[in-house]
Amino acid sequence: MTLATDILRRPEAVPRPRRPGMRRPADLVRGLPGGVLVAGALIALYLVMAAAPALLQTHPPFRTDLAATLRPPSLDHLFGTDQSGRDLFSRVVEGTRDSLAIGVGATSLSLTLALLLGVTAGLAGGALDRAIGRFLEVMFAFPNLFLALLLITVFEATPVTLIAAVGIGTAPGYARMVRGQFLAVKGAGYVEAARALGHSRLRILRRHILPNAMRPLVAMITLGVGQSIVWASSLAFLGLGVAPPSPEWGALLDAGRNYVTRAWWLEVMPGLAIIVFALSVTVVGRHVQDRLDGRAGTP
Amino acid sequence: MIPPNPAPRPSPARRPGRHPGLAAAVALILGLAAAAGAAAQEDKRGGIIRYGHLQEPPCLYAGWVQAGYIQRQYADNLVARTQDGRIVPWLATDWTVSDDNLTYTFRLKPEVRFHDGTALDAAAIVVNFERWLSDDPDKVNRNAKLYVGDVVRSVTAPGPLTLRIELARPYQPFLTVLSTYFFGILSPTALARGPQELCERPVGSGPFIVEAWNRGRNVVLKRNPDYNSAPATARHAGPAYVDGIVWKFLKDNTVRYGSLLSGESDAIYDIPAVDWDEARTRFRVVQDVTGGTPTRLQLNTARPPFDDVRVRRAFAQVSERQKAVEAAFHGEIPFNGNGALSLSTPEHLKDLAQSYPYDPDAANRLLDEAGWTGRARDGIRTRDGRRLTVRLLYAGGSLITSDGILVLQILQDQARAVGFDVVLKPIPQADWFAGKGRGPDDYEAQPAYWVASSAEILKISWRPDQGGAVNANNASRFQPPVLWRLIEEADRTFDDAARLARYEEAQRLIVGEAAVVGLFPLAVTIASQPKLKDVWISSPVSEPVFHDAYFEK
Amino acid sequence: MSAAPSRSRVTGWHRRIARLVLGAAAVFWAVATFTFCVQTLLPGDRAELILNVKAGTFTQPTAAELAQINARYGFDAPLAVQYGRFLGGLVRGDLGTSYQTQGPVRAIIAEQAAPTLLTLSALALAWAIALLLTVPSAGRDGSLARLVSGFQVAAAVAPPYWIGTILLVVLGVKLRLLRVESGTGPAGLVMPAFALAIPLSGFIGQVIREEFARVLDQPFVTSARMRGMSDLAVRVRLVLRHAVLPGVTLSGWALGALFSGAAIIETVFARPGIGGLLVMATSARDVPLVTGIILAAAGLYILANLLVDLAYPIIDPRLRAR
Repeated sequence: MTLATDILRRPEAVPRPRRPGMRRPADLVRGLPGGVLVAGALIALYLVMAAAPALLQTHPPFRTDLAATLRPPSLDHLFGTDQSGRDLFSRVVEGTRDSLAIGVGATSLSLTLALLLGVTAGLAGGALDRAIGRFLEVMFAFPNLFLALLLITVFEATPVTLIAAVGIGTAPGYARMVRGQFLAVKGAGYVEAARALGHSRLRILRRHILPNAMRPLVAMITLGVGQSIVWASSLAFLGLGVAPPSPEWGALLDAGRNYVTRAWWLEVMPGLAIIVFALSVTVVGRHVQDRLDGRAGTP
Repeated sequence: MIPPNPAPRPSPARRPGRHPGLAAAVALILGLAAAAGAAAQEDKRGGIIRYGHLQEPPCLYAGWVQAGYIQRQYADNLVARTQDGRIVPWLATDWTVSDDNLTYTFRLKPEVRFHDGTALDAAAIVVNFERWLSDDPDKVNRNAKLYVGDVVRSVTAPGPLTLRIELARPYQPFLTVLSTYFFGILSPTALARGPQELCERPVGSGPFIVEAWNRGRNVVLKRNPDYNSAPATARHAGPAYVDGIVWKFLKDNTVRYGSLLSGESDAIYDIPAVDWDEARTRFRVVQDVTGGTPTRLQLNTARPPFDDVRVRRAFAQVSERQKAVEAAFHGEIPFNGNGALSLSTPEHLKDLAQSYPYDPDAANRLLDEAGWTGRARDGIRTRDGRRLTVRLLYAGGSLITSDGILVLQILQDQARAVGFDVVLKPIPQADWFAGKGRGPDDYEAQPAYWVASSAEILKISWRPDQGGAVNANNASRFQPPVLWRLIEEADRTFDDAARLARYEEAQRLIVGEAAVVGLFPLAVTIASQPKLKDVWISSPVSEPVFHDAYFEK
Repeated sequence: MSAAPSRSRVTGWHRRIARLVLGAAAVFWAVATFTFCVQTLLPGDRAELILNVKAGTFTQPTAAELAQINARYGFDAPLAVQYGRFLGGLVRGDLGTSYQTQGPVRAIIAEQAAPTLLTLSALALAWAIALLLTVPSAGRDGSLARLVSGFQVAAAVAPPYWIGTILLVVLGVKLRLLRVESGTGPAGLVMPAFALAIPLSGFIGQVIREEFARVLDQPFVTSARMRGMSDLAVRVRLVLRHAVLPGVTLSGWALGALFSGAAIIETVFARPGIGGLLVMATSARDVPLVTGIILAAAGLYILANLLVDLAYPIIDPRLRAR
């Protein structure tokens, strides 16, 4: 579903030029709506979970305890325990690193590819632009799932493979958008003006085109991270996820599904972890986007 | 919220496919049975069994046991095997064996026809044998060939209902092997139509006819109204009581068990461990522990670290295998400590069941002795800078169910405490059967099972590499000449005590050298609605049998 | 706008269609070629795989057996010849024979066509949900409108398989409102379609909402209101037509993404379908079947986008001039 993200913003919209002057960080926080503050705090929490899982874990995440299997959530086990007595909360915390790495890694890869293709096409124009456009169409027609399958068949289902599968699969969407932005910005009045003023091409590119064309990408990045996590985790359902006992969120969900009638927490808790994270980055991303666009912040 | 409504069970009259009128007509035509008997039969007639199975095989014929379960419904074998191991008539009414145990002469049941009308006579069986043992990849039946390819000299039909099989050398398990699903007899007319027909619409002579295979969904089996070749193990002769079976593939545990709960299935295979308690109170549950080899860890003895018997023995002792099995299967599937044979196999040696009990101290000592004394920063043992890594390859979601994978994870966790780094590597089903990623240097351990009725499986599991070809079924790569000699001797010994002694010695050698570490057997469990009666599980490899099943009215 | 279209406009229109169709054909050819190359160049011996998959056991085939398979499937021919045969078959509409099932690929895929309705019904359902929630609430600032908007953002990030599992357990197993096995009937489509449609409706809803709010501010809308048009009429009859455009674009793309999503939902609901088939065929290196499925999926996607491209001017007359 990641493909969908790139047209949340209309590509033909001509971005307004960046307004001069930076606000101080304190001002930025003061003006924030409550929802964005909460989302920001949650993202910070997730980052802590990824960076230093031990700070938050209540139990060793891989330690099995055959005397305490399938316990419902309680004060001792916040998210309950799984079928071999492992503490689910600690496992969700442990899995954050892999899951975020997949989300951030895939999005970075995707953006890098998209910039290469999109900027080349947007700058060069002509035959090269048309060739890249056709190539992107072919990539679009190719199901993402097959790409993932191929990579996982040849290499193994490691986080790196998943990053590649998701990153390459989602790149065409971003690339098409980058190209669209470029074309829009290239023809915008302020670029024409700069050209009329005799600024060098490089300077125009660096000072005017790039910043303005990249701005809509901010929202895309935040949306993309959440979407990449969802898409990578869904591969676990096809038996293509990261091998156990990795508590990558998708793997947790897949394992939990077998017990869902008896132990709902195994399915619900990791699912909420994914949704809350994706939601938080989306909320923050949209806010940043609106700020950059100089519009009032409506979610 | 809407309150949960009591299970809406479809009334018997509404079940699709029930034809009381037809049942009566059939009973009339049959007319041969005594009046009372006919009435009882008529009581049982009708209905379609909606059966939810776990795994879908790549083909409906031979190969994996998951195809064998279906083959048991549409095909007949030459002989049948009772639960206690006796060989009894099926397509063969009786047979004689020459004194030198080299010539088998079978007399066949008369008037038996395949579903396509072809006569099932000795000539038809000869055609089957020729194909099984053929060199043509389109015809060969690799399972059959593995067992008897090197034993059978000739198969001939001296008379229309007389079949003679000559062996090159005595092979005691011969009749037992012939009772196994992959020796099911198929119509030569249909076989001639080529591999696709054989894969998708095999034609046998069994109580049910393969009508359609809707891939990914189900196999539709229709009652064979002319069935007259039931084995001596069946509970009744003649055609099946029900009109057919819809053999559904419901891979997801929640869906499969849920469909039994909601009445969308009349019977299902493999109850998820967490649902056992409830299933037992609400449904009829039958279980059979399959013979052959259990799911056991085959340790790769041909490469480090498991080329050292001390490391293998250490690995066998690092985890509470029995507790792990009990926890994962909620005690419903037994622990199979003797990894050489499944505990339901007659030759299974009980003394070995408790070998290598959980003993981390002993494991630590053995590893120290073996030179794995270094420690990496994460606590994994090292020797000469190499980590004590065990790549454990398994067919996740197919050969090993999710409950089974849990056993592996518990084992992985406990092995870490002693300094083993166990890396779990799931292999998709198709890759597993294709042998992808299973080369001799690709793994240190492989858990797998192979069904059989008795110790004849040892021939498959432990045959040494021949002519440079690796025997992939011997994943332990354990091939001391003495072991193969014992197995070959046992297979040609007709004195029961002497044969058993050799099989037992073979097991002692296998387990003593820790070439395999036993975990749990394959157990076939069928849960059915209370009104569905007489579903039973047959020998030799625990196939569910629906020929005798009927709906209580 | 003139009543009779000028001659040049007609030829322009034709040329546009021709260009689009040719472009689509080129994309299709590229997808076919790429799929073929990737698979034939993957490591591993195809003949060995075919033999083992067929046998259902893992044994090392003899050289003679391998040679026979290689000859039968033409693997012994140079790659260029194999590619030529493949393209030739494609032109004739012959997708070849599956290595695993030995059946014609076209028939296997056709068998799965009905379950693929899931993709289309999910798309339709997603549109229905999105319109139902967006049309009355877009451009408003009340708490209800915010709630709806918040729901759409949350829905867009919810994993479909997760929604599916929860629907299955709650509606199917616990409440027994819907069948657990979805089967192939229309009733079985309900839960899987919802699982796929809810996230997608979030996306479509957000896109339409933004456009909707923009169009609502346009002068022609204000003037319609001043003429006394009711709010609902303004929204449904006037604004909607313009606001759905980005949603339509999104739908073309979504169809491709839905294909992958459906494969996973099929697993959750134990439904047969083309996605599950693809997973199986890829790991079995069933080249003809994989290629057939990819081409079917790509074809569907290309066709959908062709239709979207052609539909633009019909939905929004302003684009006809372009």
